[in-house]
Amino acid sequence: MAQSIAKEFTKGLWTEIAPFRIVLGLCPILAVTKTVENGIGMGLATTFVLVFSNFFVSLFRNIIPAKVRIPCFIVIIATFVTIVELLMQAYTYPLFLKLGIFIPLIVVNCIVLGRAEAFASKNAPHLSIADGLGMGIGFTLSLAVLSAVREVLGTGAITFYETPIVLFGPAFEPFTFMVEAPGAFVCLGLLLCFMNLIPKK
Amino acid sequence: MREMIKMVLVLTVITAVSGGILSVLKTSTEERIEGQILKFQKAPAIADIFDTATNDPLKDRFKILFEDEEITFFPGKLEDGSKAVAFEAKGGGFGGDVGLMVGIDLESDKIIKARVTTHSETPGIGSRIKDDPAAFLSQFAGMGFDSNFKTKNDGGDIDALSGATVTSKGVCIAAAQVKQLYLKLKPQILNKMK
Amino acid sequence: MDLILLAIGCIFVNNILLAQFLGNCPFLGTSNKMETAVGMSMAVVFVLVMAGVISWMVDHYLLKTLDIEYLRTVSFILVIASLVQFVEMFLKKSIPALYAGLGIFLPLITTNCAVMGVCLINIKEEYTFVQVLVSSFSYAVGFGLALIIFAGLRERINIARVPKPLQDTSIGLITAGILSLSFFAFKGMV
Repeated sequence: MAQSIAKEFTKGLWTEIAPFRIVLGLCPILAVTKTVENGIGMGLATTFVLVFSNFFVSLFRNIIPAKVRIPCFIVIIATFVTIVELLMQAYTYPLFLKLGIFIPLIVVNCIVLGRAEAFASKNAPHLSIADGLGMGIGFTLSLAVLSAVREVLGTGAITFYETPIVLFGPAFEPFTFMVEAPGAFVCLGLLLCFMNLIPKK
Repeated sequence: MREMIKMVLVLTVITAVSGGILSVLKTSTEERIEGQILKFQKAPAIADIFDTATNDPLKDRFKILFEDEEITFFPGKLEDGSKAVAFEAKGGGFGGDVGLMVGIDLESDKIIKARVTTHSETPGIGSRIKDDPAAFLSQFAGMGFDSNFKTKNDGGDIDALSGATVTSKGVCIAAAQVKQLYLKLKPQILNKMK
Repeated sequence: MDLILLAIGCIFVNNILLAQFLGNCPFLGTSNKMETAVGMSMAVVFVLVMAGVISWMVDHYLLKTLDIEYLRTVSFILVIASLVQFVEMFLKKSIPALYAGLGIFLPLITTNCAVMGVCLINIKEEYTFVQVLVSSFSYAVGFGLALIIFAGLRERINIARVPKPLQDTSIGLITAGILSLSFFAFKGMV
């Protein structure tokens, strides 16, 4: 049993890492990766929602009638998204401001509903938690990598809690392109290309 | 028919439970959230504007209702004995609204200082408006309300921050809004501060 | 005049796909063929206008009057999900020709964050009813415009020789980046 939990957990970290291996959840990954802080914050918020919604969907999977399962899943997901929203507002307010409408939009992140439908509705709760955690951490890693590339190239520094860690000296001319919208697309496209160069196994 | 009832029942129960949980959470976090908004958005700007205040402007805050909108005012009693008030207005910048907190001396009707509270401008370009007050915001200090809060390009009195014209315009819109509100609400502000 | 500016702003300056990054999953998913791109765009215009208006009314008359705005996320997604279901049933019965065209795209719209996103933006910007109507329609047109341009580009790329690792989504994203750069020129215009 421990083995199958480990298997469900690790697949989200590499073989099925979103959005590099399975192209889902693109909107947040493009929009909130201007800075590493935002990227990781968004990743953790999504992980929280994924784990809890997976757990509850899996818990009630035998009670929920098949025909209304999607609305039921959506309500469960939306509840946890609102919980995250309120908690972030109360405890990590600056991050809440930066992520803006992308927190409520976790509801329509295809990864969350995708995992509920494809995994949690067919598997036992403990496996669903492992799956949610793995997928969530994988997603956080992707966000962290993309935001690190964009922030370092775009501003020449990484900022945590208002204190910038300058990586390049004043001679470095920042690629402002990277932190703007077009840079997000190009940067993700190139990262996908690098991922394709590395074999899955 | 039984299936139909079950469907409706399950969905209703889930929605009701969800609503219940959320309302409990909402009431228990409400106070904290309001505190956080003050602490992170307004407090740094106010501390900067009223750096010589002898009172606590955050604690003494009061609200005035104007055209269906509650505006929060922060009164400041300064070291030299003068009375001032600070409040916030918003103007559209490059990436969204820019919030501008302006401190005004109530006797001379002149701006003491202006500081940006919230913005979502481009890091390193528009964001300089907040991070480097000496570059742009310092020119508001000492201005009276006979000034025209527009950028010089638009025929006003404000030098735009180079490379961040749209952000500068957003701040000017907010400043013009402050001017308008102040001129209209001054009697009420004085009344509240007695 | 203000409404025209709002419309231009929503279609070009704040283009929902290329500047706000909303609705990117269907953007990459349905842009391989011109035909599907047109179908998806039509379906989005149809649902987005209705969802924008209904969610605004729910927010204005229900959530705000009862002071339960924290239930916004839950109620909006329910509105969108049931609206999509309802539209699907209605079209199937009354206008089968349109259903045949839009049919397969409708269920996808529930998780299209452009729809939910526009509903939330409408509330955040405190638009009036008329403004909501204009902004929802314009955002949807902007979505369609970007999607159709992009599908045209991708049809060309599909017959070009692209290095293997860059194929499919990767080159798609880079193309989208260049397209987004051209839309970027509209920034600061309104």
